[in-house]
Amino acid sequence: MRFEETEPSPPSDHVLGWLGESISYFPAFFDDPYENGDFSGDSWWANTQNLEQELIINSSSNSFTTNDIETTNTTPTPTDSFLSSQSPPSDSPKKRKLPADLNPKTSRKNTNRRINEPDPGVAPRKPNKKGNNKSGGNNLNNGKEGRWAEQLLNPCAAAITARNPSRVQHFLYVLHDLSSLAGDANHRLAYHGLRALTHHLSPGPAPSSSSSYTFASSNPEFFKNCLIKFNDINPWFRIPNNVANTSILQILGEQEKPSTLHILDIGVSHGIQWPNLFAELTRRAGGPPPLIRLTVITPPTEITTPFANSPQNYDFSSKLLTFAEKMNINLQINKLDNFQLQNLNSQLINSSTDETLVICVQFRLHNVQHGTPDERTKFLQVLRGLHPKGVILSENNTDCSCNNCGDFATGFSRRVEYLWRFLDSVSVAYKGRESDERRMMEAEAAKVLVNVGEMNDRKEKWCERMKGVGFKGEVFGEDTIDGAKALLRKYDSNWEIKVEGDGCVGLWWKGQAVSFCSLWKMDLSLE
Amino acid sequence: MAMVMDLDFSNFTYSATTTTTTTTTSTDEGCNWNNWSPVVDWEALSGGQEDFHDLIDSMMDENVVLDHSTSPVTHEEYHNLSPEYNTMMTDDETNGSDDLKGLRLIHLLMAAAEALTAANKSRELAKVILIRLKELVSPNEGTNMERLAAYFTDALQGLLDGTAAGKQVAGGGHHHYKEEHHQTDVLAAFQLLQDMSPYVKFGHFTANQAILEAVTHDRRVHIVDYDIMEGIQWASLMQALVSRKDGPPTPHLRITALSRIGSGRRSFTTVQETGRRLTAFAASIGQPFSFHQCRLDADETFRPSSLKLVRGEALIINCMLHLPHFSYRASDSIISFLSGSKTLNPRLITLVEEEMGHVGDGGFVGRFMDSLHHYSALYDSLEAGFPMQGRARALVERVFLGPRIAGSLARIYRASGDGEGCSWGKWLGAVGFRPMNISFANHCQAKLLLGLYNDGYRVEEINSNQLVLGWKSRRLLSASIWTSQDNDL
Repeated sequence: MRFEETEPSPPSDHVLGWLGESISYFPAFFDDPYENGDFSGDSWWANTQNLEQELIINSSSNSFTTNDIETTNTTPTPTDSFLSSQSPPSDSPKKRKLPADLNPKTSRKNTNRRINEPDPGVAPRKPNKKGNNKSGGNNLNNGKEGRWAEQLLNPCAAAITARNPSRVQHFLYVLHDLSSLAGDANHRLAYHGLRALTHHLSPGPAPSSSSSYTFASSNPEFFKNCLIKFNDINPWFRIPNNVANTSILQILGEQEKPSTLHILDIGVSHGIQWPNLFAELTRRAGGPPPLIRLTVITPPTEITTPFANSPQNYDFSSKLLTFAEKMNINLQINKLDNFQLQNLNSQLINSSTDETLVICVQFRLHNVQHGTPDERTKFLQVLRGLHPKGVILSENNTDCSCNNCGDFATGFSRRVEYLWRFLDSVSVAYKGRESDERRMMEAEAAKVLVNVGEMNDRKEKWCERMKGVGFKGEVFGEDTIDGAKALLRKYDSNWEIKVEGDGCVGLWWKGQAVSFCSLWKMDLSLE
Repeated sequence: MAMVMDLDFSNFTYSATTTTTTTTTSTDEGCNWNNWSPVVDWEALSGGQEDFHDLIDSMMDENVVLDHSTSPVTHEEYHNLSPEYNTMMTDDETNGSDDLKGLRLIHLLMAAAEALTAANKSRELAKVILIRLKELVSPNEGTNMERLAAYFTDALQGLLDGTAAGKQVAGGGHHHYKEEHHQTDVLAAFQLLQDMSPYVKFGHFTANQAILEAVTHDRRVHIVDYDIMEGIQWASLMQALVSRKDGPPTPHLRITALSRIGSGRRSFTTVQETGRRLTAFAASIGQPFSFHQCRLDADETFRPSSLKLVRGEALIINCMLHLPHFSYRASDSIISFLSGSKTLNPRLITLVEEEMGHVGDGGFVGRFMDSLHHYSALYDSLEAGFPMQGRARALVERVFLGPRIAGSLARIYRASGDGEGCSWGKWLGAVGFRPMNISFANHCQAKLLLGLYNDGYRVEEINSNQLVLGWKSRRLLSASIWTSQDNDL
């Protein structure tokens, strides 16, 4: 039995005998480690302990390195400013530098440029950004850089569609560890996305409906201030509002004689957009129209479209009336609250033929079904039946994410992309700082992920639909375009306005289409 | 066997999950989102297992996916399949949360590895995951899984930064033991590793026993050692040679150690020092002995012609690639050594290497998870060996395992996709070496050795020429013996 000869002798002797000259290094416990069960006794380790790095780990919270958290709420606009000031949301110094905001003519440039050309001159404010190539849309790869949250959310949605529970679970774990409301836009997207995916997997009450951060559950005063502040730092709504207002002026200017201006407001500006218009009306030659009728349609409270709802006690009517009175404007406000768009008809609007009816639709129609039944087309037909002098339609310019237009994974990734643009631009707008306002705006936008209804559509589809019901596209006036571009200069340089070949005005963020504005009139050739 | 068990486990995972009841928690804690967590019912998932091996396997097991995609699952059933998503729980470090944390770490590591692979490569994502992992783990604290995850995190960070690139592994001095670790630490760690686990001795003893059996009647024995380190293997061989009671006279032993350019970096003792020690030790026990060095080329290529051979010597080729033999050598160097050896017609080739699983498509993620599995088993075996000695283990981990993990991941990262996953044993067979039978005595010796350690170790003879050291269901290390000569002994 030769193996006995090499049978393991007491396990430690070789090394010790072997490295005899080094043996002095060894602590005593090496001599007999098996009998001395607790050689970790501090005496020995005291020497080497200091070699061990003590890492302070902060494992209990997602302590992503964020920029300094803003502790004070900087609400620059005094609470009443939007009613008492002539130039409401913009009483900041910036405002004075940008008279174009209220008076586009003063900043007009290139007046001999044909406005319906595709605009090569978005150039003024595009410094060194990537993905700003003219063709747009081709820069997906550039645009995706640094967007890691989608690289977890989209595969997770795909795994859900593919019914692969172990992959789903994997992504949920990872997302959970990387999601945070205190981090950058990616961490926030991961957070909202994770909640939405979890909600999808185990449907219950929509998670955001219980949140105190959304529009519907916020304090009315806070809500109003927040919107004003937001418009001041992010053009997401401001540009569409501005384009609508100047277009209304344009339409009014085209009328032969002064008449009542009737605005049908189906939008998400919650009244914020109108003081600007009123101020502008008082400045125009001929002054304001003899009467302004404002018919506001607010959605049912259960609607989950982002930005459509307002706090329960929020009512801008009285303040707007006071504001109008100060400006010697004769204003009537008619609010149709909790109103299903499908129920609209001319009796409710009560529009007379001698008034100038302008319909202003912003970010609301995408929630109307476009499949079967095609309520979206029906609704546009109703609008056509009101015989408006003009329709300004603004919508998100993103593929539809409803279940008929793609599977869950497809729709989810489109919603996520929409939310990414919002979160990314908002992060820039708030300079990375945290605030309650920012949190509310983001939570409201995040409703897109759990919104049950239809969501978004491409500009081309909207235009097709409008033409189908008897509208024809109009180009925006130079004042409108120049005014919007001048206004945009106060915002981050990643924003740009593109005047498209079809006459629509596109708002783009980092080379990606965000929304579009379009102007329509009745196609009288069809009548 | 292991595969079957793993598969069974995977199935068990899912059946267990389906029977878990859904915990409905009210969602009106809107302000408390930060604490929200898709906690999995760990007990159901783990099936009471105390380690992560099976879990890692189940995550890697593609069969699970296939099973589910082929079985018709209604939407309702699907939701029932994943009740753990619903459960809300705060993830503070309460009792029993170690397992959960371990699970989170595995998922994060896997996601980071995925983010580094070509198909859907995202450096941003990998970066963010690694930042998170570093917040969660430290190599010196926490459970096995947490410490292990810390080293894997570091290794992945190296891959992301490109600092673990080829030349470190292929060329000299990649682990900088002297810079990073005090010599005392290295020696202590080596001693501890020997004492905690049969890992080192299993390889050396199995090889030595095969050598003893192969040279029974020889007067002169010449061993060419690929990585001699401090030469501990040969001290025990000499003791065995001189103590053969009724055998032939003690043969003359000549050892040629391969040395590298700048080989001082390789080990905590230089080849020269090792030679001095071996010579002195041989003299002290009466073993006729001579020591030589044979220098590898700058790129660590072996040239057989540089070897001095003496007619009449029994030539033995010894290739130890396991811990604590440092790191992975560059494949080209090992190939040049083994194929060069074949031209010398050696009596015996002894090979010890880590036993890695054979994973799917050989892609990086699969092999990464296999490595995680492997080292997780190793960590657990060390813990079982010295359950109370956390600091001692941490030292071994820091000195040996951390660098080993980094080298291992760098190697599979660079190799991913090119199919370089097969073991050296398979390679030897493929290039025409002939397996030699492991003797009954050798097998018994291995069993005796394991008897000195924890119950969890086991030895299996998976081929007639191959012994494998395992920890529970995981194979850790394989020792195999080969010859290039026609007549088996």
